[in-house]
Amino acid sequence: MLRYDSTSSSAGSSSGSLSSSSSSSKPPQQDIDGLLAGAGYKVRSSELRQVAQRLERLETAMGNSPADFSQLASDAILYNPSDLVCWVDSLLTEFAEPPPTCSSDFIVDPVNNQTVVNSAWTTAEPHTPQVHQNITYDEQQSLDNQLTVVTAMEEDSGIRLVHMLMTCAECVQSGDLSLATSLIGDMQGLLTHVNTVCGIGKVAGHFIDALSRRIFQGMGGGSVNGGSAFENEILHHHFYEACPYLKFAHFTANQAILEAFDGHDCVHVVDFNLMHGLQWPALIQALALRPGGPPLLRLTGIGPPSPDGRDSLREIGLRLAELARSVNVRFAFRGVAASRLEDVKPWMLQVNPKEAVAVNSIMQLHRLLGSEQTRNSPIDTVLSWIRGLNPKIMTVVEQEANHNQPGFLDRFTEALYYYSTMFDSLEACRVQPEKALAEIYIQREIGNVVSCEGSARVERHEPLAKWRRRLSGAGFRALHLGSNAFKQASMLLTLFSAEGYSVEENEGCLSLGWHSRPLIAASAWQAVPAWDNHMSSS
Amino acid sequence: MARSNEVKLNECKMAVSLNTWVLISNFKLAYNLLRRPDGTFNRHLAEFLDRKVPANANPVDGVFSFDVLIDRGTSLLSRIYRPATAEEPQPNIAELEKLVTAEVVPVIIFFHGGSFAHSSANSAIYDTLCRRLVSLCKAVVVSVNYRRAPENRYPCAYDDGWTALKWVNSRPWLQSQKDSKVHIYLAGDSSGGNIAHHVALRAIESGIDVLGNILLNPMFGGQERTESEKRLDGKYCVTLRDRDWYWRAYLPEGEDRDHPACNPFGPNGRSLEGIKFPKSLVVVAGLHLIQDWQLAYVEGLKKAGQEVKLLYMEQATIGFFLLPNSNHFHTVTDEISKFVSSDCIKTIGERIMQCIGALLCVDYVCLFKCFLG
Repeated sequence: MLRYDSTSSSAGSSSGSLSSSSSSSKPPQQDIDGLLAGAGYKVRSSELRQVAQRLERLETAMGNSPADFSQLASDAILYNPSDLVCWVDSLLTEFAEPPPTCSSDFIVDPVNNQTVVNSAWTTAEPHTPQVHQNITYDEQQSLDNQLTVVTAMEEDSGIRLVHMLMTCAECVQSGDLSLATSLIGDMQGLLTHVNTVCGIGKVAGHFIDALSRRIFQGMGGGSVNGGSAFENEILHHHFYEACPYLKFAHFTANQAILEAFDGHDCVHVVDFNLMHGLQWPALIQALALRPGGPPLLRLTGIGPPSPDGRDSLREIGLRLAELARSVNVRFAFRGVAASRLEDVKPWMLQVNPKEAVAVNSIMQLHRLLGSEQTRNSPIDTVLSWIRGLNPKIMTVVEQEANHNQPGFLDRFTEALYYYSTMFDSLEACRVQPEKALAEIYIQREIGNVVSCEGSARVERHEPLAKWRRRLSGAGFRALHLGSNAFKQASMLLTLFSAEGYSVEENEGCLSLGWHSRPLIAASAWQAVPAWDNHMSSS
Repeated sequence: MARSNEVKLNECKMAVSLNTWVLISNFKLAYNLLRRPDGTFNRHLAEFLDRKVPANANPVDGVFSFDVLIDRGTSLLSRIYRPATAEEPQPNIAELEKLVTAEVVPVIIFFHGGSFAHSSANSAIYDTLCRRLVSLCKAVVVSVNYRRAPENRYPCAYDDGWTALKWVNSRPWLQSQKDSKVHIYLAGDSSGGNIAHHVALRAIESGIDVLGNILLNPMFGGQERTESEKRLDGKYCVTLRDRDWYWRAYLPEGEDRDHPACNPFGPNGRSLEGIKFPKSLVVVAGLHLIQDWQLAYVEGLKKAGQEVKLLYMEQATIGFFLLPNSNHFHTVTDEISKFVSSDCIKTIGERIMQCIGALLCVDYVCLFKCFLG
């Protein structure tokens, strides 16, 4: 069973009242214990005592049968270890009696059956000045200031190349195009001395090209993303094969969708970008094996219209129907052709009020972020009608990168390190032409991030923390992905020979990264019920 | 049974502040979930539970960090922490590996704790600790993401430490201006302290200079059950059973705790007499059950004529240096700061004293003070 984000309710786990506003879903930041925040845990100072008491109960429960615990841990599904209150409660539920419904500063001494004041800690408070004990935990600031760099040792010419790339980007930002142009020439010369097979040399070439295009061809850049839909699908397919990012995305989303569909007989998946439908065979097969039998599955696949008269959406649908038939899953497919996601209207999806709906967005939402933050920007419109569908779950996978910053140099820098890490991970792939075509796929992304502006720039990636804020503000609450999803994602990775991939858990969301740098993040959401908005705050 | 557990809990609570108690109890509980009786480790759950933070090349509180792949073969990563300088509060991305500019810059190679099995260089608690070390010592800190047990037993952690040491020693950009050498310190907490000792040994054998070892609550042990182990078993969040489990997970199969990795001055250990071992600062928590082994380690160094300073923190529990909210924390950080900076003022006279001290098997520090009168 998926757990929802308890921080959206004003009291901890003990009371049932919900907060009045759908936009405030985080506790007041000033009350978060600053020292524990530095250790990766979010807990309000006012709740520390409560957490401590529950830890004590767990301690006692474990003391009685310690050997059982590792076994129980293997079977249990645990959620969001950062939220200490939730985490400890979930452990208590698994391993001991449920927590009491009211918090108390008193514990009952089991031997004497007397109430004992639990004030042991108060006497131990140190007398040293507690500077910054409860610092104002400014998540906004830390979020905007993040730049993660993973680098391997490069030879001098590699370092010089990075230096020049940065300088060139700076010139572009300040409008000094003549200097930028001469730097392009220098860099192209330097490339011949640098190892372009791997590392910074490989990705530098793509960045030089993108800068060059920006300077010489203006920023329409239509040609960058201008491959036909057919071409894009081929590249996408090879990117899927060459590295685990998309597999992780599909796998994690499917896990969450499967859980959300539990107990429902009529289910409807809306896929925001069908492509070759690679995500769905696994879900169909999992539903087929569901205890109690499969539901009726409807799949609505959105994709660009085919120019040559072929109905490629329908072809994919037919293939999936074939598969569903072979495993006895009642299946219906509908294709919705649209060049842009914002052109899709909810009535086109023909959602039945009785069915459980899953909205699946794999790297699509960022395309809706326009350059201007207008009131009814495409993202707001789309999120609003998604919410109107009241889906059981919305799975969101996005690149874990800050590529939508207004300043060009910042964006360029971030992209340079993001894509060099991604290219580095691709080195592990030995299969051709998958690897070469995957590189072209990534190269096109780079081109769009660097050389396009305005409506042509669609690769407007934003990090998970920003998506959290945005989605919470739009009336969604997070459904936490738990330790089972984590474990299965980790196990999926072991199928790849490369050692450097790692899955990380981040407050209920999972990310996949290379060498400690997260590159893609998966999260699950549910619409906050509309009636919550009318409850007064407690 | 419940009663004695309660007593132990209460004792622990009285020794620490509330948020420290919550932190170490949470760790203890989580760790209990991960160790299986058959000696295997629930690595997936461990990684799920570990709170990690990414590196940040933008300075926060005057410190920035970035990750470097030191060895592709073993995917050995290290996180480098550097102080943002007054002249350059916002470092240029292309110059992360820019030359250190000060006359003397200590480079501290840090090995995180976790009893050889838990945690990583990017664990939040260690990222925070390393950042503090940078500010405290005006140092560059290199936090090594060594391979962990039980998947990787002895000597993997030491091998990774050694690889990191060689790498650090050969970076031109880490050389101090004064003598164009890298001023290296080894530091570690718990298993990290143990690794620091063994890496220092390898350094000596290969002629690499290590200026000092900082061992915070280092993990040592032995076959025998010592008095402190019996007295403090199950108290202050550590049990003999878990200590035994971790040694079984790290040491080669079939070996006991008198293996020199665990017990460097035990029956299978080697004497360090006559060897130019770096000076050591050893911090022992007075409420930790393995303290007898840690004290024996200090004795072993002294007997071999090595320079060692013991900081015995009587009322300190495991993990006391993770949160800056106790007197112990501040005492230890002051001593670390002095330990690292004292290197800068080493004079010829001090070096002579060190040699004489070693010959006479006398505490160098005392002798020097006597010499000064």
